[in-house]
Amino acid sequence: MNELTKTDSETSEPVVSAPFFVRGEVLEGADQTHRSRDLGVTFTTPRIPLDKVVAPRTEVPPLLDTPTAEIMDFLVETGDRLRARDNQHMAECVERMCTTHILPRSVVEHSVEHATRFLDKRVMTKELEENFPDPRALDEWIPKSDFTGRKSYVRAYAPRLIHVMPGNSPGVAVESVAKGALVKAMNLFKMPSADPFTMVAILRTMRDIDPGHPIVKSMSAVYWRGGDDTTERVLYRPQYFDKIVAWGGGDAINNVIKYLMPGFQLVSFDPKTSISMVGREAHADEATQERAAKLAAGDVMILNQEACVCSRFQFVEGSEQEVDAFCEKLHASIAEKAAASGDIRPLAMDLKEEVETLMMLDDEFRCWGKADGKGLVIRSDEPVDFHPINKIANVVRVDSLDDAIRYVNVATQTVGFYPFDRMPAYRNRLASGGAQRIVHLGEAGGKTIGNPHDAMYAMHRFVHWIAHEDGCDESSEGRSA
Amino acid sequence: MGAAADKLTSLATDPERYDFPAHELRAVQIEAIDERLQEKADAIKVVKFRADEAQIGSVSELADAVKLLLPHTAYKSYPESFLVKERWDRLTKWLGTVSAYPTDDIDLTGVDNIDDWVEACAKAGKYVSCSSGTTGKSAMLVSSQADLDFASRDGVAAVEWGSEISKGDNRVSAGAASAVAYTPRNTAMGKGLMGAFVDPDAPRFDSGLPPLTVGSLMGLVKLRKAIADGSADPSEVAAFEAESAKRQKALDDAQDRAVDDIISKREERLYITGMWGALYEFAERVRARGYGSKDFHPENGVYLGGGLKRAQLPDNYREYVYETFNLQPRYIYQMYGMQELNTSMPRCQEGGRYHLAPWLVPLILDKTGENLLPIEDGEYEGRAAFFDLSLDGRWGGVISGDKVSIDFSPCKCGARSPSIRDDITRYADLEGDDKIGCAGTVDAYVRGIA
Repeated sequence: MNELTKTDSETSEPVVSAPFFVRGEVLEGADQTHRSRDLGVTFTTPRIPLDKVVAPRTEVPPLLDTPTAEIMDFLVETGDRLRARDNQHMAECVERMCTTHILPRSVVEHSVEHATRFLDKRVMTKELEENFPDPRALDEWIPKSDFTGRKSYVRAYAPRLIHVMPGNSPGVAVESVAKGALVKAMNLFKMPSADPFTMVAILRTMRDIDPGHPIVKSMSAVYWRGGDDTTERVLYRPQYFDKIVAWGGGDAINNVIKYLMPGFQLVSFDPKTSISMVGREAHADEATQERAAKLAAGDVMILNQEACVCSRFQFVEGSEQEVDAFCEKLHASIAEKAAASGDIRPLAMDLKEEVETLMMLDDEFRCWGKADGKGLVIRSDEPVDFHPINKIANVVRVDSLDDAIRYVNVATQTVGFYPFDRMPAYRNRLASGGAQRIVHLGEAGGKTIGNPHDAMYAMHRFVHWIAHEDGCDESSEGRSA
Repeated sequence: MGAAADKLTSLATDPERYDFPAHELRAVQIEAIDERLQEKADAIKVVKFRADEAQIGSVSELADAVKLLLPHTAYKSYPESFLVKERWDRLTKWLGTVSAYPTDDIDLTGVDNIDDWVEACAKAGKYVSCSSGTTGKSAMLVSSQADLDFASRDGVAAVEWGSEISKGDNRVSAGAASAVAYTPRNTAMGKGLMGAFVDPDAPRFDSGLPPLTVGSLMGLVKLRKAIADGSADPSEVAAFEAESAKRQKALDDAQDRAVDDIISKREERLYITGMWGALYEFAERVRARGYGSKDFHPENGVYLGGGLKRAQLPDNYREYVYETFNLQPRYIYQMYGMQELNTSMPRCQEGGRYHLAPWLVPLILDKTGENLLPIEDGEYEGRAAFFDLSLDGRWGGVISGDKVSIDFSPCKCGARSPSIRDDITRYADLEGDDKIGCAGTVDAYVRGIA
């Protein structure tokens, strides 16, 4: 991959090229130089062709009259091509990502592969069925009538979407393309600096299948530095886009929020923290505890704890002795998974400092493992101040899981629960506190196809619901509005 | 103290102290850092931990010292619940992990709040300076009396080296009203500087604002936590909003009076202090009242500490402030320093660069802060870290968040010490926030409590 990597003569850092994709056209160029925050890598991009990434309102979205079935067929073929060993775009992409992404190669490769599972006709059909009371509304104007005899047609109309992509999970790119296509949107993807490659590689793969296909003509992917006023002030307008689909919090979302206005709405995927709740049944005997600890470790280690579903705090019911025995097993299992992944990133300096301080105050906290990025469990009486990341589990001992409810808040996403038969007793209180998913311990990554994400059915939010009122049936006594 | 460290810190009174080339000092500096390790490692637990982990029993080259540096966050690594739940014994124990002197002689009897605790520490000779971190945690930097004395003496000497402001000038003090963090270190420095340059009989402006102690911030910290976990009532938030508005009003009023004050003293030879953000706004108000350069004394002096601290100012902010108060270059003192260090780095007049004293060892690291960059000929860039050999009450090795350009060759001004260019930025400010992930904390869900 020598051609891909040049060296910046000033900083002697590697420079990689990140092309853009604009409605079927691949744009190469090195007009602009950017830095990837995570690894300090420099990458170059062309200038954004502003007039091309925005389609005038006089243009009806190209996918509008393409049947959903055909869109699915195209996406299924895309999935096949993404998985194909001879797909040069994806091979290059994985190669490039390994220089800019914080995750190790094996995890990146696996997550791309995993993501293509969405591109299955049964999966997509089920997603549409769950998102829309009548998925045919995507393909046609659905006749409606009410008890007064009034008639009309309703359409889930193709929206103009701008997607602000996250950088921590390559799989999100695949799903975003698929959902954008299924709702027949005109899509502009703003790529993240941690991964300005995957989206373009996916779109190039689609272009190879059929460069003139309406899906290909509905997709653009570009990069600008998040918060860059000169670009965002221009593009973030209701005349150009109906909705902005954004991930994250803090400055990232604040930058977006300041542009919201009538006609320019936000669909946000919020930054989330996930937790586990383990009841005292887990300590019934050695084998049970071993099993529960393994399940908990599985939830901690999804994508090496980079995603929102990864468990960071485990509230464990039991005596200190029972909980410590659980911690020991949890640590062994996390360390095993960490070693197997080949991920040897050290902890961030601040985090290491905080963890080591807790180790020094060892009469109140107990640690299994070291602050070395190879897996660590900290047991405490209440959650630690910092955000456990990079293979760190914070086990909080509680007398009763009831005491753990107060730690659930509006940032809580997934709660992995053990034993499973106690879930119904807790789900209402967990949801009221802010939690969005309650799952079997060990299945934080699993999802019933079509289920809501971030407490919503996203595709239902994406589309523009349009009504065509068609007056009253003559035989009825309906009145006009 | 060890012989090598003593030799270096004794240069504090040497008028030529910024004229020692780094290569001539290197051997003795390394020896001095090693002395510090031998003296302090057993006392400072966090250093002992580091040294054991890195398997460093002695320092024989600068790279060894790098493994013993503490990030500035080391001083805010205590669990916040110790503060919120008022567990003073635990906080004292934590202090013991960063203090060079044992903390078990701190008498906690009658300690009711964090300000009391700081006072109890002071009574035992452990002077804790708390930074006013409002959104995050406060850093707690512990000093000994010797540290406060040294910082204050060095601060005065650095002003005299970096400008023509001199001891015995008998100036009159003035400046913007601001809620300054009230810490032992700030108080000691302030006393030293005022004692040296200001007429003790001249009237001093009193802003009337309550001192910003760590205790006064605790309400904020607690409310933030309560909002985050969902337990704060709307009426509590409303009360906080009302309190903030009141505080802002008090600050605005104090600022008006500070403007009156400096205008009334305009004939005097002034000693002005402040941060850029506050001074700029102050200058705007003075100009709005119709006063400027021609009205002020031509020998007015200014002490400028710290960078912009995220203040958004026009490009010409410096000239604007200088012109307003008729500040001539030779009376403008600017320093680079940080709360974590004892030693000031004065900016020279001719080269406009910050100079390092012999007992302040620069360790310029790569961006990650993990590796020492090779010392190059000419200027080069990296993350600033220092070993301040003058520190007594805590460890001298600190990694900063600053990106600096350092030059080990002699400066245009003639001084041969290493020097840092006057364009220091923070890595955090450079990065922006382009890192978006689906994972995040509840901090993103708390608005307006800062």
